[in-house]
Amino acid sequence: MAAEQVAGAEQSSEAGAVMSHILEEFSLSNEYAFKFFGIPLPHGPSMHLFGLDFSINKAVVVVWLATFITIGLVWYTGRGGGLVARGRLRNFIEAMVQFVKVDIVEANIGTHEGKKWLPFIGALFFLILFSNLLGLIPGSNSPTSNINMTATLAIIVFLTFVGAGMVKQGPFAYMKNLAPHGMPGWLYVILYPLEIFSQLAKPLSLALRLFANLLAGHILILSLLALIIMSGSIIVAPIPFAFSIIMYAFEIFVAFIQAYIFAVLSAIYIGAAIHPEH
Amino acid sequence: MEINLAHLGAGLAIGLGAIGPGVSVGIIAGKALEGMARQPEASATLRTTMIIGIVFAEAIALYSFVVSILLFSK
Repeated sequence: MAAEQVAGAEQSSEAGAVMSHILEEFSLSNEYAFKFFGIPLPHGPSMHLFGLDFSINKAVVVVWLATFITIGLVWYTGRGGGLVARGRLRNFIEAMVQFVKVDIVEANIGTHEGKKWLPFIGALFFLILFSNLLGLIPGSNSPTSNINMTATLAIIVFLTFVGAGMVKQGPFAYMKNLAPHGMPGWLYVILYPLEIFSQLAKPLSLALRLFANLLAGHILILSLLALIIMSGSIIVAPIPFAFSIIMYAFEIFVAFIQAYIFAVLSAIYIGAAIHPEH
Repeated sequence: MEINLAHLGAGLAIGLGAIGPGVSVGIIAGKALEGMARQPEASATLRTTMIIGIVFAEAIALYSFVVSILLFSK
């Protein structure tokens, strides 16, 4: 009895250690990104600027890698010239850029203005896609599973579509066009705060959707694999392992879908700001 | 027996919060399937719209998941 209780306590403390390791990923600090499979990485010079932590950790390096892949792939593909694409890489990248151009940009912004917005939406799509996919490599983490990066992207999109609307229509006309016209006067008192609040909810939902999807994927896979540790025996190992492989495949699908959804919603918001429907 | 109310709230948050999105994802996919059965030529448009609808519904479930994790780490 005493031995079982001691063993149970040992297991529960292991479970506690595993759960705290998983929960560490969720904290707003970046301390978890200094570990590679649990081994602490060297910290480097501590760079603090105005109280914010700018030190280079794993998430920062993965974002740099995603940026280099995005810029490098698309630049390398487009430098050859010539009307007909030759080679598998060029065809693949051209197919994806075509998909972004036709299905995301021109379907929501229109063919006339779509050409100006294709670089922005395309860069957003490819950056988020490669950031999501690079997080699936064991040992690295995806930078978009951090609320800081998704909130930054969402704020950029928010400033872009508000700025584009104000440049296109003029600041006061943009604010007036938020609510539909032809309503009785007293309704505008409720309608305008509601519309302003929904404008502010758009970047919040963008950031939270991307962040929570990727974080849920990571936590799910880690929790499934932690079940093997928490159960204490190796006999049950194949079942969580097989299930975590299935969830891993689902995570690849989610990476593509979340990048697509972010780009589509950005295009919809920019289109709604540029062409207000009545 | 001591009850950690934060952990209980965490369980309730994700448990109750996943009911609505679960039902709505089923309804969205069912309606999309009906539309594709009636008109198979529109399958691509229906599939794209279904994916967008499912992502919006999943976002609500993930908001409650974030609340659950926030409560669990208290």
